[in-house]
Amino acid sequence: MKFVLGIILSFLSFLTQAQPIEMADQMRASGKIYVVVAVLVTILVGLIIFLITIDRKVKRIEQELKQSNASK
Amino acid sequence: MRNWWKALAVILLLFTLIGGFLIEVPKQVILYESIRNLYFHVPMWFSMILLFFVSTIYSVKNLSSGKIVDDTKAVELVNTGIVFGILGTITGSIWAKFTWGAWWTNDVKLNGSAITMLIYLAYMVLRGSMDDEQKRARISAVYNIFAFVLLIVFIGILPRMTDSLHPGNGGNPGFNNYDLDNNMKLVFYPAVIGWVLLGFWIANIRIRLNKIKQQLIY
Amino acid sequence: MLNEITTLLKKDFTSEFRQKATLNGILLYVASTVFIAYQVFNAIEELTTWIALFWIILVFASTNASINSFKAESSQAYYYYYSLCSASSIIFSKLIFNASLLLVTAGLTFGLFVLLMGNPIENSILFSLVLLLGILAIASTLTLVSAIASKTNNNSTLTAILSFPILLPVLLTAIKASVLCGLGFGWEDCVVYVSTLGLLNLLTIALSYVLFPYLWRS
Repeated sequence: MKFVLGIILSFLSFLTQAQPIEMADQMRASGKIYVVVAVLVTILVGLIIFLITIDRKVKRIEQELKQSNASK
Repeated sequence: MRNWWKALAVILLLFTLIGGFLIEVPKQVILYESIRNLYFHVPMWFSMILLFFVSTIYSVKNLSSGKIVDDTKAVELVNTGIVFGILGTITGSIWAKFTWGAWWTNDVKLNGSAITMLIYLAYMVLRGSMDDEQKRARISAVYNIFAFVLLIVFIGILPRMTDSLHPGNGGNPGFNNYDLDNNMKLVFYPAVIGWVLLGFWIANIRIRLNKIKQQLIY
Repeated sequence: MLNEITTLLKKDFTSEFRQKATLNGILLYVASTVFIAYQVFNAIEELTTWIALFWIILVFASTNASINSFKAESSQAYYYYYSLCSASSIIFSKLIFNASLLLVTAGLTFGLFVLLMGNPIENSILFSLVLLLGILAIASTLTLVSAIASKTNNNSTLTAILSFPILLPVLLTAIKASVLCGLGFGWEDCVVYVSTLGLLNLLTIALSYVLFPYLWRS
């Protein structure tokens, strides 16, 4: 089983040496990949800002709780 | 600056996204551009295991100190870890469909991840079946430690004994040489650290919320 | 400590022989499942099916057998008895009791399998070693898990939920090793699996010894 796989693989690698592997070069050449990166960065930044605001809110509640416990 | 690690997480994640898409990767059949999934799928598992590991440490701490705080930390770390595990499973499934041809293959690593999820869901069920706080803390800590050790044995030993489609074990063309490629290392390591830090950040917020909830009840 | 263990064992065995509740239950369970399997398959031609079926029936029978191993201990009188001896001797006595119970179960299941569906195992000496180690690992895991579950409200369902995911490593290793034994492979080919089973045994027993006192205190 492994042997057969090995043969197939070596054959595949031979094939790939013969012809260049087609990656998403077209997208890179036309600059479209930057659109994808821009979208994803926007989403990530948005989510992180959201996370930071949640973090801040929790902190504010923690402080309020501390004050109310102290005044009791 | 007490929150330096959160800033580091943001910087590393931004670098992962930009570098992960724009930096050159090795050209390979079968994988093609999907090799970039390495920066997003694999760190999910790293984060999950690390979250579970730290949770186990807090369980040990809980057993020796008997403090509820340690139990709170342990359970929220597990909760966050489960989310990362589910994300890892889904992303792995999508990736597998387009490289190996099936949503789920009978692969040791996949089975390992399925068992991991089952163990920690069982942990949550166990917690749900007890009301007394101290008792719940101690008993679930015992199970957490026991299960984590067996889990490490499982994912540490079994893959070595069987073939896997994953790189590094078995005859997979995939990216047996990915760790030799400096370009990929340059993004992969920061990606792992970034995602792990994000996981701990979320867990941190959950722990604080849980503590607030406990204070409000008493 | 040895004294305490023998006394506790004697108590467990006499109560078991007097009531025979667990043993009879297992007997019926094994007999009926094996008979159903026989009705469906008649003679099992394929080795893997035989072994998988054998271990699956064995695991479910073992779980059924161990579910109640700490049931009697939750009553008040037993708290008094057990205040007289140390936690470690309790867990060891329970472990030995469960292991011997499960060994009987395993022998019975194997006998029925051979009787009804033939004996495909070629290397039976090695197979019995694998069986012994596998049963020991299953017994030690189930003992601790049923101790955990006995502290909760619904212990019978929880034992199954908690133990199945962590029994999987043992089960997979044991099935792989049994298949090799069944095909007639010798010691050199099985040594990895046998040593893995041994390691799992050591780990579960050591963890039970360390963790049980914390369970007992609550």
